[in-house]
Amino acid sequence: MQLFDQIEPLLLQVQKPARYIGGEMGSIMKNPADIKARFAFCFPDRYDVGMSNLGMKILYSCINARPEYWCERVFAPDEDFEALMRTHHLPLYGLESLEPIRDADFIGFTLGYELCYTNILNMLDLAGVPIRQCDRGEKIAPIVCAGGSCCCNPEPIADFFDLFFLGEGEELDLEVMDLYVKMRDAGATRSEFLRAAAQIEGVYVPSFYDVTYNDDGTVRAVTPKDGAPATVRKRIISDFDKCPAPEEFVVPFSEIVHDRAVTEVLRGCLRGCRFCQAGFLYRPFREKSPETICEQSRKLIDNTGYDELSLCSLSTSDHSQIEEMMDGLLTFTEDAHINLSLPSLRVDNFSSGLMNRLRRVRSSGLTFAPEAGTQRLRDVINKNVTEEELMRTCKIAFNAGQTSVKLYFMMGLPTETDDDIRGIIELAQKVVDLFYEGERRPKGKPVQISCSVATFVPKPFTPFEFHPQDTREMIAHKQKILEDAVSGHKRIRASWHFPDTSILEAVLARGDRRLCDVIYGAWKRGCIMDAWSEHFHYDRWLDAFAEAGLNVEFYANRERSYEEVFPWDHIDYYVDKQFLIRENEKAKQAQTTQHCRLSCANCGVIKKTGKPCFSYSKQ
Amino acid sequence: MQPVRATFEKRRRAKYISHLDLMRCMQRAFKRAGVPVWYTEGFNPHIYLMFPLALSLGYESGCECMDFRIDGDMTPQEAMERLNRALPPDLQLLKIAEPVRKHTDIAAADYVIMLDCAADTSAEALRQAWDRFIAQPEILVEKKTKRGMSEVDVKAQAQITGTETADNALCLRLRMPAGTSVNVNPSLLTDAFIAWLPSNAPEVHTGMMHAERTAILCADGTDFI
Repeated sequence: MQLFDQIEPLLLQVQKPARYIGGEMGSIMKNPADIKARFAFCFPDRYDVGMSNLGMKILYSCINARPEYWCERVFAPDEDFEALMRTHHLPLYGLESLEPIRDADFIGFTLGYELCYTNILNMLDLAGVPIRQCDRGEKIAPIVCAGGSCCCNPEPIADFFDLFFLGEGEELDLEVMDLYVKMRDAGATRSEFLRAAAQIEGVYVPSFYDVTYNDDGTVRAVTPKDGAPATVRKRIISDFDKCPAPEEFVVPFSEIVHDRAVTEVLRGCLRGCRFCQAGFLYRPFREKSPETICEQSRKLIDNTGYDELSLCSLSTSDHSQIEEMMDGLLTFTEDAHINLSLPSLRVDNFSSGLMNRLRRVRSSGLTFAPEAGTQRLRDVINKNVTEEELMRTCKIAFNAGQTSVKLYFMMGLPTETDDDIRGIIELAQKVVDLFYEGERRPKGKPVQISCSVATFVPKPFTPFEFHPQDTREMIAHKQKILEDAVSGHKRIRASWHFPDTSILEAVLARGDRRLCDVIYGAWKRGCIMDAWSEHFHYDRWLDAFAEAGLNVEFYANRERSYEEVFPWDHIDYYVDKQFLIRENEKAKQAQTTQHCRLSCANCGVIKKTGKPCFSYSKQ
Repeated sequence: MQPVRATFEKRRRAKYISHLDLMRCMQRAFKRAGVPVWYTEGFNPHIYLMFPLALSLGYESGCECMDFRIDGDMTPQEAMERLNRALPPDLQLLKIAEPVRKHTDIAAADYVIMLDCAADTSAEALRQAWDRFIAQPEILVEKKTKRGMSEVDVKAQAQITGTETADNALCLRLRMPAGTSVNVNPSLLTDAFIAWLPSNAPEVHTGMMHAERTAILCADGTDFI
């Protein structure tokens, strides 16, 4: 506890000091003398964001379930506390032990969003750990590693990490820690350990791969060395239903973004929406049984004391036994004054049976994601949602007393025209009309339809990974069309964002290793917390690109051929590139693909797992 | 249904929990503890929980109060034991009993404030500076009220019951008005002192401040129980 006395005098000078001192209920304290390896689990954003992350809660409990390992939480300090930390030479510390993380065995980041990359550099700097892997020397600790969805293309941050965990970490992280302890105790160096770790399925050690480039700037080849595998395949846990889920959360004192108990009900997605990276990265689709979900939820509620339970998945209404699951949950949540919330519902299988169950739950409104304004464009992106289905669902909701609906859309999708943009408002107007046609609508209450329109970012491992992102000018034009279309519609609100963050996201998502210098340069110019508009400085990023001799357009706005070697081609997420090409060709023809429960699209998962994802005979 | 008043301590890491956060933290602790507690009635029932006197962020205390009602078959003692297992070690109940006094009986609170000396300052120098500071006829400070900022004479409000030097620190014992109608935070006085120091005692510097509430009192000078 040597840092406690140093931290304390600073805390009353900052906003929400409870974020920096730990001691929350459910935080796990261990005796350092009993510990063989320490894992500093870093979330590259503020406490209130990071504490809401389910992945972190899962891995925190997995690692801490082993008595000889201690996993601690680390978050990015807000600017007021960071300034004090730097002035007073206070190193970044773990919230459990209040000891510097530079002394940990592993410093592990979870990467869910490209715009957090500069925060990684800043946190390593605050910790006093060399930012570039090549400067860390041969002493084995600390191993700087990362997991999470962004690791599907880790190339733009390859220089900063010793290793990446690809795919699901519940089993993989522990295997790597076990290997580490064994090798460290035998006196291994950092590179000896990394060479051995690279042989574990799911471990990617970027320093064992040489990248060469063509004259046009595209990748020529990625060549493994030191016995590293030519392609690294992500890890999938052996049994999702039986895999231990956290029975306890660290319950924060200060309010966080998602301050509730969360139960994961299914993993993966069977839909194959062509824009959605998560829908491909987390395959195969797996469900937890209603019994497991109820048992895990009940334990979590008992142990945390939360009065709200949220079900988490990419598409909760795709659970094949959702009504049984809801009935099981409602039997105990209602008696215990627990609010149940179900995000991620789809409009095409939203039944009145589900609505009746949802009605017993206090709800603040419904959110649906048609994603595109016209049927043609919804077919291009394989959203497989029709206008009739949306109307049917809204009707159920209005009949149940709802007066507001939130709709999510994107702009900048492949093949999109101005008519598709105008279609967003036309669709919203039809929902408004539907409300006023309703016989059972609440009297005297106006309807409010909110359309939130995000800028599309093409991502690796999706059928749209070949597509250029719309340029700034094209997005500005489409936003103007949207603005004109919504004016005069009193019951519709449309919102959209300035596209610069989406452009940077597109660059970092499909970038190559040369971007490490750009990220470093941007951080050196003061870029951190890029996901927060008040901290985002696009001009500094452009300066960093110029300094590195690179440009944004090459990464964001270039059409990529099927023959091109992508920076992530040596990373295997079970989904075949040939499948992505087939899907992209179907998208160009506005042809849809059925979801996985109806027929198999041969994405490559079954070929590689050797196990069918569904038993079709049951359907 | 059994109304009870629990006395709890708030120390070390727990002293950074704000009053609003403390409310939520206790609500969750009741759920974790499985204590049968009375819920308010109405559209949105919640656990009935009353804190008669809020404690400022950063203050430690061994005498905080919280009222609730046990709604079922459980002794107050067992409720306390269960709650303590469901609360972090720096936030623990010390005793539990039937409430005796009304919330409106609260009139004052006692505090001990330790002002550390900076490296270049002796405790004696700090004490002499304090003596000169407090000898002023009045000490006017800005105080935030519901109607905006107003100026109050904090010296007239404070009763100084002790001034000692100890372990390279100045130890002040203060009794301040407290309760539902008037409530004066002792930091008003110590902050005014720290602000007064640079121009009036340039050679004297303070370090960290440790503040603790040591008693909540009724108008007759007895402990609020």
